[in-house]
Amino acid sequence: MSRARIVMLQIVSIATLLLAWELVARAGWVDPLFIPAPSAVVAGFANVADTALGGLADTFAKTAIAYVLSVVLGVAGGIVLGSVRGMRDVLNPFVVAAYGMPKILVLPWIVLLFGFGTMPAIVYGTIHGFFPILVMVTGAVRDVDPMLLTVARSYGARRRDVYVKVILPAIVPSVLASMRLGIVFCLLGVLIVEMFAGIRGMGYVLGALANGFRAPELFAATALVSVASIAIVLGLDALNDRLSRWRG
Amino acid sequence: MRARTRSLQVAILLGGIALWEIAARAANPLLYVPPSAALPALRDLLTLTSYPDLPSHLLLTIQEIVVAYGLAVLAGLGVGFGLGLNRVLGRVYAPILAALYAVPAVVWYPSLMLFFGLDAASKIAFGFLLGFFPITLAVLAGVRQTNPQLVTVARAFGARPHVLFVKVMLPAMLFTLVGGLRTGLALSVIGVIVGEILGSKSGLGSLINHAYGLARTPDYVALVVLALGVVVSTDVAATLLERRAQRWTAE
Repeated sequence: MSRARIVMLQIVSIATLLLAWELVARAGWVDPLFIPAPSAVVAGFANVADTALGGLADTFAKTAIAYVLSVVLGVAGGIVLGSVRGMRDVLNPFVVAAYGMPKILVLPWIVLLFGFGTMPAIVYGTIHGFFPILVMVTGAVRDVDPMLLTVARSYGARRRDVYVKVILPAIVPSVLASMRLGIVFCLLGVLIVEMFAGIRGMGYVLGALANGFRAPELFAATALVSVASIAIVLGLDALNDRLSRWRG
Repeated sequence: MRARTRSLQVAILLGGIALWEIAARAANPLLYVPPSAALPALRDLLTLTSYPDLPSHLLLTIQEIVVAYGLAVLAGLGVGFGLGLNRVLGRVYAPILAALYAVPAVVWYPSLMLFFGLDAASKIAFGFLLGFFPITLAVLAGVRQTNPQLVTVARAFGARPHVLFVKVMLPAMLFTLVGGLRTGLALSVIGVIVGEILGSKSGLGSLINHAYGLARTPDYVALVVLALGVVVSTDVAATLLERRAQRWTAE
C-alpha cells in the first residue's frame, strides 16, 4: 500500500468521523450542551480564538523556559551520573524514586511555595521534563562502548577530549530522543499547573471554558492545543531524522 | 564497595531529613513542614483522627483505579491486536494513535469533566485514557517484533490460530506487552489522582486538595505519603505479576 493511499485513507476516516458526528449532533441524539457538532465547534473557535491563542502563547513561553532548563540540567546531570560510576551507584535509588513518583502529588506544595505567577508553572514543567531526560542520558553515557574510551585514552586523549570527542558524539541520538520525550512532559507540567492553580495560559483557558459549560469553545481550544503539540513533536521527529541521516 | 555505597545512601537520606528538619524550622515550618511535624500528622491520618472518613475516600480512589485500568487493558488489548494483526488497519490508524499520544493528555481532562461531571466517572475516564495509549502501543510494537518466520513455521505445521497465538505470538511479545501493561497501570493510577486533584468532591486527591486549600500542610504531607503508599503497592503488585509472566515464558 502506497504512502499516498494511507494518507488518503486517514483523511477519509477522519472526515467520515466528523461527518457522522455532525449528523448525530444535528439529529439531536446527543446533548449539544456536552457534545456540540463540529460545525458548532468551528463557530466556537471564532469566539475563543483570541483568548485561546493568547493562552497558548503564554503556555508555550513558560514551556520554552522549562524545556531549556530541563534539557540543560538533564543532559549535564546525565553526563555526570553516567560517567562517574561511584556517584551513579550511590544516587541511583534517589533518582529512580524521584523519577517514578507521581509529580502531581507535589504540585500543591509547589504552588504554595512559588505563588500564583509564572514561577510554579516553570518549576513544575522543569521537574516534569528533567527526570526522563536525566535517566535517558545517564543510561546512554553509561553504555558508551568502553572499547572506544580505552582506545581514546591509550592514544593519550585527555579527560576533556574523551568527553568532547568520544562521549558527546556517542550520546547524540539518545539526547535527541530524550529531548523529544521531554517537550511533551514539560508542556504537560505547565498545563497542569495552569489548570490547577488557575494561572493564565492554555490550561487556565481550558479549565475556565469547562467550568462555564462552553463546550463548543472548549472543544475548539482543545483541538488547537492538540494540533499545536502534535506539530511540535512531528517537527522534532523530522529534525531528528535529518540529523541522524546527516550523522550517517 | 557495595557496603560503602549502601552506607553512603543511608547517610544521604538521614542527612537530607536532618537538613530538612533544621531548615524548615528556621525558615517557615508551616510552608516547609519539618519531618517532626509530618510524623504526628501521619499518625493522626492513619488513626482516622484528622480525616475520619478517610477509608471511604481511599476505597473510592482504589475503585476508580481498578475500573479505569480494567477498561484500559480491555480496550488497549482489543485495539492493539485489532490494528496489529490487520496490516491495512494498522498502517492507517496506528500513526493517528501515535500522533494523539504526543498530545499532553491533560488537555482532554476539562472536556471529560464537562461531559462526565465532577464525580468518579470523569476520573475513571481520564485514568482510562492515560492507561489506554501505552498498552495499545505496546501491543502494536509486540506484534511487529514477533518473528514472522516463527509464525510461518507454526502455520506450516498446521497450528490453528488460537494455538499460534498462545504458543508463538504471546511468548514472543510477552516482554513488550508486560512492559506496556505496567506503564499503563502507573499512568492509570496517575490519571485518577490527577483527576481528583484537579477537581472532585471525594477520593484521596480531593483530600489532598482540601488540606492544601486550608493550608493544613502537615496533613497534606501525610496524605501525600499515603498516596505514595498506594502508588508503590500497585507497583509491587505489578512486579510480582511480571515475575510470574516471565517464569511462564521461560517454561
